[in-house]
Amino acid sequence: MSRVSEKSVSRRLADVARIVRSKNAGPGLLTIDLFFNSEADFKAAVAAEGLGAESVAARYGISANRVRRIPYPLANAIKITMDRPVTAGSPGDGDVYGAQQHALLLDVEIPDTETR
Amino acid sequence: MSKLEPVRLMSASGQLGYGVLKPAFERGLTHEPHMIGADMGSVDPGPAYLGMGKIATDPEITRRDLTMLLEGARGLGVPLIIGTAGTAGAAPHLDQVLDIVRAIARDRGLSFKLASIRADIPKERVLTALRAGELSPLGAFPEATEADILDSPHIVAQMDEAPFVAALEGGADVVIAGRACDTAIYTTVALMRGHDRALATHMAKIIECASLCCDPGGRDSIIATLDGEGFTLDCMNPDRHASPTSVAAHALYEQGDPFTVREPAGELDLSHAKYDALDQHRVRVSGATWRDMKPSLKLEAAAPAGFRCAFFAGTSDPRVIERIEEIWAEVRKVVAGLTGQDAENLLRARFYGLNGVVNWPTGPAVPPREIGILVECVAPTREVAKSVITVTKQYFLHHGFPGRLSTAGNLAFPFTPPELEVGPAWRFSLHHVMQVPDPAELKTLFPITYEDL
Repeated sequence: MSRVSEKSVSRRLADVARIVRSKNAGPGLLTIDLFFNSEADFKAAVAAEGLGAESVAARYGISANRVRRIPYPLANAIKITMDRPVTAGSPGDGDVYGAQQHALLLDVEIPDTETR
Repeated sequence: MSKLEPVRLMSASGQLGYGVLKPAFERGLTHEPHMIGADMGSVDPGPAYLGMGKIATDPEITRRDLTMLLEGARGLGVPLIIGTAGTAGAAPHLDQVLDIVRAIARDRGLSFKLASIRADIPKERVLTALRAGELSPLGAFPEATEADILDSPHIVAQMDEAPFVAALEGGADVVIAGRACDTAIYTTVALMRGHDRALATHMAKIIECASLCCDPGGRDSIIATLDGEGFTLDCMNPDRHASPTSVAAHALYEQGDPFTVREPAGELDLSHAKYDALDQHRVRVSGATWRDMKPSLKLEAAAPAGFRCAFFAGTSDPRVIERIEEIWAEVRKVVAGLTGQDAENLLRARFYGLNGVVNWPTGPAVPPREIGILVECVAPTREVAKSVITVTKQYFLHHGFPGRLSTAGNLAFPFTPPELEVGPAWRFSLHHVMQVPDPAELKTLFPITYEDL
């Protein structure tokens, strides 16, 4: 986290991304798609430490080996897929479709890579 | 390969029964597709529909949609293919949809050969797979037990196009299938006409969601035209456009991995897929590849998880909000003592405004002014659930704690009686892959019945 270089600016994911959405990919998996407006923003997000598997896992309270991150340059997008702690719709699950699990990522810092 | 006759496939809807949009559907008919298809189900709405044999869609809208599709397809004289009938595609779902189809045929004077394909897998067959080590959970899903299999009223498998092909070769005009791969609805006619499996499967994977792949995404009918080198996507709503980015992005939707799609007979690889604009409205897609693999089937089942009672309440008291977790722990302890039930495990609360939706690692910087409280009890029997929730409601309302301001009650109930009998709770009991050592079984596991209407 040594990003105190003069001109580097950090923005929050919610301000950089065009779309941040979550949904089930089958009842055992949650998948989060992040879409960006430009290749520059996409690259900045790919480079952001806060969107690495370790950091994402920490935010969701699961271990890093249960998180997979797949950059998808064709759509300037990043896919983050993780195991669900509770199977969709089982007692204890609070989000059957998994459609509201994206919010934990919204304040992830995306450092501006262009000034590096 | 380029000598292949192009084939036009029309996806009328990705969720039949929620209202097929008529203008785009009728526009689609003027393009004279070689088949019309619609998907009718998914595991998305959760385990209850599969477990209970219930359809999620409204019966009247379902009938309206099916009427539109049956009349459209019969008018053109092309096959109509419906996959995953009645939300979950088990026997009761399929039977309810078949009843609707028969009633429509009678009322509208339509006559056609109907094929129905069952997707229910006998418990014995699944137990055999379990004992042979040929049943493996998908992703993080737990290993199956014999009880998971025996407790599930319906076990379904996603069929690929093999039974659909057999039904059309058997002379069917209309095919209504139980649980099916979304792709099978559209690959069937393409493969019967000699088209490439990779391209056909990629095409099917995109159009099974109708025009969700467009910008803006929507639910209008879409037509794919497949030839020897690729396929073209043409949304039947002129205001929704397929663009290379919108179609490429669709590969992410509800998929764990945007580059591979596992099907019963192999795997679709999209690593080299290409998306090119044909004009402002249409996109040309090519480049997908296919790998044959050992045949396997995706199984789904749901089992009862108990009976659910619940109540909803709210609070605006800052002292209650501040100590809500503590209060809740104390209430549960009291309820356990009073009812003699394992209340600590049977009861769950969600505090909307604090952590009802997301499991936040930390509390909010500023406490909310109000919170909504959902308390549920899932117990082995209705009686226990009812008794536990009733006592919980009262003790939560009147629980005393140090510093309490509002000594007449902690909760606001929006209706009376506040306790709700929600009904049976369900859980997915199988979300597994079953190996099918003998590929011929892929056909026999999905029996076809014909009837002349």
